[in-house]
Amino acid sequence: MSIEIEGSSHRVFFEEAGSGVPLLCLHTAGADSRQYRHLLNDPAITNLYRVIAFDMPYHGRSNPPDGWWLRKYRLTTACYVSTIRAFWQALDLVRPVVMGCSMGGAIVLKIAADYQSELRGVIGLESSAYAPGRYNEYLHHPAIHGGELVASYTYGLCAPTSPEASARENWWYYSQSGPGVYAGDVHYYSIDWDGRDEVKRIDTSRCKVSLLTGSYDYSCTPDMTREVAKSIPGSKLVIMEGMGHFPMIENYPVFRKFLLPELEAMARMP
Amino acid sequence: MSQETSTFAFTVPWLNRMQQRINADPEMEAIGDWFTTAFSLTCGEGRYILRFERGKLVEITQSPRLDVRCAFGFRASPEIWAKFFAKEPEPLYHDFFAMLMRVPGFVLEGDTLVAMQNARALHRAMNVMRTVQPS
Repeated sequence: MSIEIEGSSHRVFFEEAGSGVPLLCLHTAGADSRQYRHLLNDPAITNLYRVIAFDMPYHGRSNPPDGWWLRKYRLTTACYVSTIRAFWQALDLVRPVVMGCSMGGAIVLKIAADYQSELRGVIGLESSAYAPGRYNEYLHHPAIHGGELVASYTYGLCAPTSPEASARENWWYYSQSGPGVYAGDVHYYSIDWDGRDEVKRIDTSRCKVSLLTGSYDYSCTPDMTREVAKSIPGSKLVIMEGMGHFPMIENYPVFRKFLLPELEAMARMP
Repeated sequence: MSQETSTFAFTVPWLNRMQQRINADPEMEAIGDWFTTAFSLTCGEGRYILRFERGKLVEITQSPRLDVRCAFGFRASPEIWAKFFAKEPEPLYHDFFAMLMRVPGFVLEGDTLVAMQNARALHRAMNVMRTVQPS
């Protein structure tokens, strides 16, 4: 699908399954929508929701925009919101639930603050309003294999108790990102993003907020999500014991037990 | 844990068992062709240099003299290392990248570029070492 984002055309890939309330899923930094493959195949969810997962520009099967070779890829909060909004409008989604993980879990807070009257709710996986510390210059460096570094750098974000094959699958996804794409995403996540004031504008009587964070997540620690929950009265906080930073891919059978009650509650929203 | 935190230390017999485990590791066999470097492990006042050649841990030097070279190293207190090597590590101590980000007393010293050039094999080596419990 081609959509217009900040004045230029982008070819964006997405997958969908199911019918019902739109559920828009946002992948993590440097990854793509394959992370949601279990969710897209779970009848308990697809019977309630039209699950849609898209690859951000530069990621997975979505192309970068024309002229990408002339500029350094640097995601910003504004560009990220514009991209999600453009995709949402292109599919004409009515009162969706938006769920994102990590950088996606951060931006859903901004989406909720800005568009709360147009949403049923947001589900923030590994959500933080402010997450410094993940950026370093080695993430895109000519003397380092970026795919192997980025995949190894993020592998330990999975819980040691998660099934190895699932964590390795996420490693593989990470190893496949384009040069500098993870670094460009982390620029948003760890440098540009600061939603600590904006999250206070979210009215949970209009837009439900569920925050689910794994106990082993060291990028967005449980305490970081607790801070978000404190700033949003009426939000629901769930700390997922034995889970890491990538619940939808690293340990889906356990994750769905935490997720389903939140989705069922949001599906009942008018 | 089978070793008290306060008395945690690397020992030659333990490192030798780690060496056997690493050198028998099929993943290291698959990925280690270019893993030729040396790094130090420092725990309190105890220091060792581990030298790798093509993914095999070929030499362990205890209390190295100044003429034993290494590119980089990990340094931490006995208390921090004990948490890393715990059978069931607590969050933030379950991975060396986690510790580098969240545990200020865990330090990557020396040429960090070389460490990150070898990130995949280095990560594997440290994770394999963690599966060998102190005796």
